[in-house]
Order: sequence, then C-alpha cells, then structure tokens
Amino acid sequence: MNAALGTAGVALALSAAVLGMVTLAVGLRRGDPRLLSAGQRYVWLILGGAVLSVVAMEAAFIGHDFALKYVADNGSRETPFLYTVSGMWSALEGSILLWSLILAGYLAVMVRHFRARAGDHLVAWATLTGFAVAAFFFGLMAGPANPFKVISGVVPADGQGPNPLLQNHPLVAFHPPILYMGFVGFTIPFAFAIAALVTGRVGEGWLVETRRWTLFAWGFLTVGIVLGAWWSYEVLGWGGYWAWDPVENASFLPWLTATAYIHSVMVQERRGMLRVWNLSLLVSTFALTILGTFLTRSGVLDSVHAFSESNIGPALLGFFALVVGVSIALIGWRGDRLRSPGAIDSPLSREGAFLANNVAFGAFAFVVLLGTVFPLIAEAINGDRLSVGAPYFDTMTAPVGFTLLFLMAVAPALPWRKASGELLHRRLLWPAWAATVTVVACVAAGLRGLAPLIAFGLGAFAAAAAVRQLLLSARAARRQGSPAWRGLLGRANGGMVVHIGVVVIAVAFAASHSYGQRHEFRLDPGQTAHLGGHSITYLGTTTVQHANKKTLSARVRVDGGQVYEPALQQFPFASQAIGSPSVRVGILDDVYLTLVAAPEGDTTAAVVGINVQPLIAWLWIGGGLMGFGTFLAAWPGRRRRPTEPSSAPAVPTVEPSMAPVADDPPVAVGPHA
Amino acid sequence: MPEAAPGPARPARSHLWAWALIALVLAGALALGRGDPGPPSDAQRAHDIATEIRCPTCRGLSAADSDAPSSQAIRDEILRRVQAGQTDGQIRGYLVSRYTIDILLEPQRHGVAVLVWALPIVAGIAALGGLILAFRRWRAHPGVAVSAGDQALVDEALRR
Repeated sequence: MNAALGTAGVALALSAAVLGMVTLAVGLRRGDPRLLSAGQRYVWLILGGAVLSVVAMEAAFIGHDFALKYVADNGSRETPFLYTVSGMWSALEGSILLWSLILAGYLAVMVRHFRARAGDHLVAWATLTGFAVAAFFFGLMAGPANPFKVISGVVPADGQGPNPLLQNHPLVAFHPPILYMGFVGFTIPFAFAIAALVTGRVGEGWLVETRRWTLFAWGFLTVGIVLGAWWSYEVLGWGGYWAWDPVENASFLPWLTATAYIHSVMVQERRGMLRVWNLSLLVSTFALTILGTFLTRSGVLDSVHAFSESNIGPALLGFFALVVGVSIALIGWRGDRLRSPGAIDSPLSREGAFLANNVAFGAFAFVVLLGTVFPLIAEAINGDRLSVGAPYFDTMTAPVGFTLLFLMAVAPALPWRKASGELLHRRLLWPAWAATVTVVACVAAGLRGLAPLIAFGLGAFAAAAAVRQLLLSARAARRQGSPAWRGLLGRANGGMVVHIGVVVIAVAFAASHSYGQRHEFRLDPGQTAHLGGHSITYLGTTTVQHANKKTLSARVRVDGGQVYEPALQQFPFASQAIGSPSVRVGILDDVYLTLVAAPEGDTTAAVVGINVQPLIAWLWIGGGLMGFGTFLAAWPGRRRRPTEPSSAPAVPTVEPSMAPVADDPPVAVGPHA
Repeated sequence: MPEAAPGPARPARSHLWAWALIALVLAGALALGRGDPGPPSDAQRAHDIATEIRCPTCRGLSAADSDAPSSQAIRDEILRRVQAGQTDGQIRGYLVSRYTIDILLEPQRHGVAVLVWALPIVAGIAALGGLILAFRRWRAHPGVAVSAGDQALVDEALRR
C-alpha cells in the first residue's frame, strides 16, 4: 500500500515535471501566455506527487511497513519516534526523496510568487529550468535510487534501524533538512540565471529579483553546516567538529562560491560589472551542490557520511556535466551582451575589496575542491593511493582565512569608486586600536602562539569595523526618527551582523585549535584527574538496557559539581559499541568526556578521555548570529520608491529602466523563437 | 555615509604617527607573544606526528584524534620510537612501510602529490596576475564603450 502510493507519487511528480516542461516549451515557442501560465501550474502536481511519496514513506516508517526495503534497512520497531521520522533521510534513497520534496516546495513558492508574471518569458524559462532539475531528481527515484523498492520474499518481522550514529542525537532531525534547504535553494537563482541567459535579459533585473532567494538559501546552508559541525561534536566522540571529511567539504564548497557571489553581485548591481563572473559563481554554486552529492553518495570517496555504494553515480555525474556544459555554452553564446561597460577606478575601493574577496574565496574553494578530489586524480595518474587530510587543508587555508578576516575589517570602511588616505584613517583608526589592544591584552593574559594571536587581532579589527558600521547606521536611523534597532535592518547592516558571527566563529576556531588539551586517564572509582584547570572524578559505571540499545555509562563528576555520563552504546545490529560523549558546556571552555574503555573482568578502572577546549560554545553562537544576520539582511527595508526600477516586471509601461536599454529587449529571442 | 566627504589626498603627518605607533605596539606584542618554541617534549613530538597519521580503521580522523585501538597502537609505537631517538622522517618512513603511503594525511612534497601543493599556488598567482592586468586595462581605458542603456542603469543605481 505505502509502496504503491509512494511509487505513484514519484510517477505523478515526474510526469508532471516533464509535461510542464513540454507545455512551457510549446508556450514559449508560440508566445502563448495561456500555455505558459498552464505550464507553470504543473508545479502543484509536482508538489502533490512529492508530498504523497513523502507521506507514504513516513507512514511506512511509523507503521513499521517492513515490506519496503528502505524501511526494513533504516527503521525498526524499537527505534524512538524522532529517529523513526528522521529515518527517512538516514540513507541515500530517502535523502533524494527529501531533496525532491524541498525542491518541489521551492518551485511552488517561486511559481506562486511570480504568478502575476506567468506570461513573462524570463519567468517561464526559469520555471522550465526548475522543472528540468525536478525531472532529474524524480527520475533518479523512478530509476536507480528508488526508495519504494519492495522486499522480495518474506517480509521481516523487524528492521535494522538507522545507522547507530544517526539515532543518538536529536540534531539528526534538523541538520539534514536545514542543509538541504540551503543546497536546493540555489536552484531558484540558478534557474533565473539560465533564464536570463536564454532570453538575453542579462541586465541586473534577474539579480535583484533573486537576491532574497539567494540570501535565504545561503542562510540555511550556513546554519545547516554549523549544525552539522555541532552534531559531529556532540556525537562522534573525538572532541572535534570539523575533520575536512569529503562530505563536510562537499557542503562547504557551494557555501564558498555562494558567499563570493553574494558579495560580488553588489558590484554588478551597483556598477553593472562582473556579469560573466557572477553568472559563473552562481552556476558553480549550483553545480557544486550536484558534484558534492555525486562525490559523497556514489562511493567514489570514503567518508563518514558516505552511504552504501550505489549506482546513481553516473546519473549525477552526467547531470553535473550537463549543467556545466549548458551554462558555459549559454555564457559563451551571450558573450557580447555580457561584456560589462565601465571600469573599476582603484583597487582601494569597495569594488576593489569585493574583487579581493572573490580571489580569496575562489582560492579557498579551489584548495578545498582540489584536496577533496586529489586522491582520485592521483590514482588516475599513476595508481597511487594517497590521503589528503586535515594537515593539508589547515596549512593551505589558514593564510586565506587571515586574508578574509583582514578584508572583513577593511572593506566596510572603503567607499565605492576610490578611497582617500584621510578617509581610511578616520574610519579604520579605532578598529585598528581595538585590534592592537586585543593582542596586547591576550599577550598580557599569557596567551602564546603567533597564529591564534593574529587571528584574535584580525578578529577584533573586523568586529570593530562591523560594530562601527552598525553604530553609525543606528545613529542615522535615530536621526530620521526611527528606533535605533531599525539601523540593523537591510543588506549592509544585516551583513555586518553576519560578519560579527564569522568573527566569533573564527576566534572560537583559533582558540579551540591552539589551546585545546586532551588526555586519557585510567581511573579507579573515586579517583580524580586534573586537566586544563578542571578536576574530573570517576564515580563508577551504570548499565541500562533500552528497547533499542544497551548503554554502559560512566558517572563522572566535573569540578566537584554536576555528574556527567559519557557512555558506550551497543546496538543490536552494530558490531562495535558506539561511544557517546558527554559535554559540560561552558562560556569559557567545554569539558568533553568520553568513555574510552569500560572496566573489564576483575578490574574496576575505566579509561576516560578528557578534552578541554576553550570557547567551543561560541562556534554555535556565531552560527546563530550568522543566521540572524542573514534574516536581518533579507528584511525588506524602507522602500525609497514604490517600485525598484530594476526589479519591475517586464511590462514595458512599468519598466522605466529596462525599456531604454538597447541590448535588453523585453521580448525573448532565444533559440526557441 | 554621513562622513563620506572627500578629505585631503595625503594623510596628515600626525596620522602617520598614529599608524606607526599601532604597528610598533603590534609588532612588539606579537614578538613577545610568539612564545618560546624550545625543544618539544617527547609526548608533544609524538602527538604532532600522530596528527599527520591517518587512523587505519576509522574514516577521516587522525591517529591523534581517534580512540580506536589501532590508533592507540600507532600512538604508542610513535612515542616508543620518539623516546628511542628516531627522527620524525624515520618514524613516518616506518609507518609507511608498515601500512601504505596513504597512512600519511599530509601528501608528500614529491612525485604526483606535489601537484596538490603547487596547483593552488599557481592558480593564486594567475588570479592575482589577472587582477593586476584587469586594473591596468581599466586604468588605460577608463570609460570604454558605455552604451546609453547601461549608463542609464548605472545612473539610476547611483541616484538611489
């Protein structure tokens, strides 16, 4: 029953996507607005199909319908409710299902948002592109990644449950959907970029229209990545949060290019320049979400996240090649229209700083991509199997990170066009003093090490520059009779809040990397160990039998206060016990406890791993600040005029800025015409 | 921006003094704060080597970070060899012969692996070179072929 409903949902969505594409294509060819409008309404069938299959999948999980192979592999009667629900995205096929649901949702919101402009060729082409992406993902589920496969033979009485690591922390319910909200969200600006190229309306209109969509996706991606790091910290038990694992890199790569894009796009909005570059960044961001899915879901790279080997690899790689190929061809074809007028006057200007930012983010992305795929390249060249791990990424990305912190401090102070020395002096002097005082204070407090001190100094510099901007903006708001908090709203100010979040993360990262301490102690009950100014007393062990697992926990008292229980958990279908850490969270430092070895035989001593790392909690706070800042940046500001000239719809009468643009005709002249 | 009024082209002398003072204080603080490197302890050296060795039985973690028995064995072996007076290179060489070359998390600086170090540097230089070229071209032709339409767009944007 569930299998049939789910398969029907996938089939419905797939055929609706294909029919919608055909209708839109015919409508575009004939220039028939009714067909265009009808074509876009197929989105509701796609959404209906996606919802139907997700409901069928969840019904199968909750109802323990082990006739479905996916449910038998990832659900069990003993799994708690939360992890039963999240079981849907705990393996490959189900994550594609989640991806498709979110994509259908985005497309539906997009069609609804632009419903008044259904006849606009730009919107029609964007919808067509979106439908093509949807057809691909539903096609995956209809073919190689079918989540509704039925078990042949006897239906098992119980399933295996999700991977043990995916059922011992509630973040599993939030990290993947939020991350996917980010990944999938870039489909919308990508679709508009393709539409702008096809219709030849490569001016700034489509940029302004997709600005908030991009920000929205970026914000979710940011929060999703930070939640992933948090999950890794709380669950994996090694005390770290970022291992440069291929899947982490795969989520970080589109983040890097998207971050470059949301900065350089301001140069285009303001000066009409860097069109090809911005299109390339946007296309790269979308393509990297697909490439990341390929790298991590096809089994070519080893990773903690890699699901079992599957045969969706060629399909994903083919789609990636198609996206890149079509985009490059379109950009080449529209080359003459994309040539930007104007020039950047001075490197010492806001646009100069954005260019430097782009070089830095580009280099960052290049290093991460190269390091991630290099084992494949080396093996292809001469059969060497080698590893590229954290030491490589740390060495190569640290200078880029410092550069970015420095740019974050200087760029907000730079004016457009050209900066004078006097102006820089006035705007940068007190942030520079803030940096100096910070470094001096850190040294006086006994902190040692060049890298962390530079990171703290640059962090203070950047944070002071951002705070200065916010104070000025709040003062300006007050002067105009608005409350001061109004000065936090809007792109520039929300951006500064995001910057402060980045600084918080950078400082926490530097501190935990440089000043963390770890040690393993063999302790008898009642014995106390000391590390990093903390005393840790081992009290004894407790064993609890849960429905889905057996937990052996050590009771450990931290600093004579609360008792924490790091544990080893044995799941019935897992060969090894899974360690689950217990963390005393603090504003200044975390005490991270793991049970390395339980007492065995006659001995009463347990091995307890203790990891004292400063400022870790600020990583998550910084992530929250970044999300909050994105929200402020997307907040609709006070409109200075009823219609932004460059975002007006493509109806000539209400499009004052589009009409006179000779090379930007309102009517599409694509290959279909 | 309330203070965007253009100032004099050259900063006043007192300004330069302020920045020189900042540079001096920063340099002094960093020199002091660099800390005394000194010879590392055996345990420190062993830990540093272990961070560059892959845990053979887990994924994506170093032998220093992992609690797996195989990592514990590697850590003990490294410490034993450090105490026996072997150099870092000798210890790494032993581990490579005991396992395989991919036990090293940091790619080597010769052979094919040199590409992973060199390519980003080459790309970085190329990007900077491209940027310098672009600025020179912009300086040479500051106002190239601004179409009336684009000028209107820019004006519109600037007036906002």
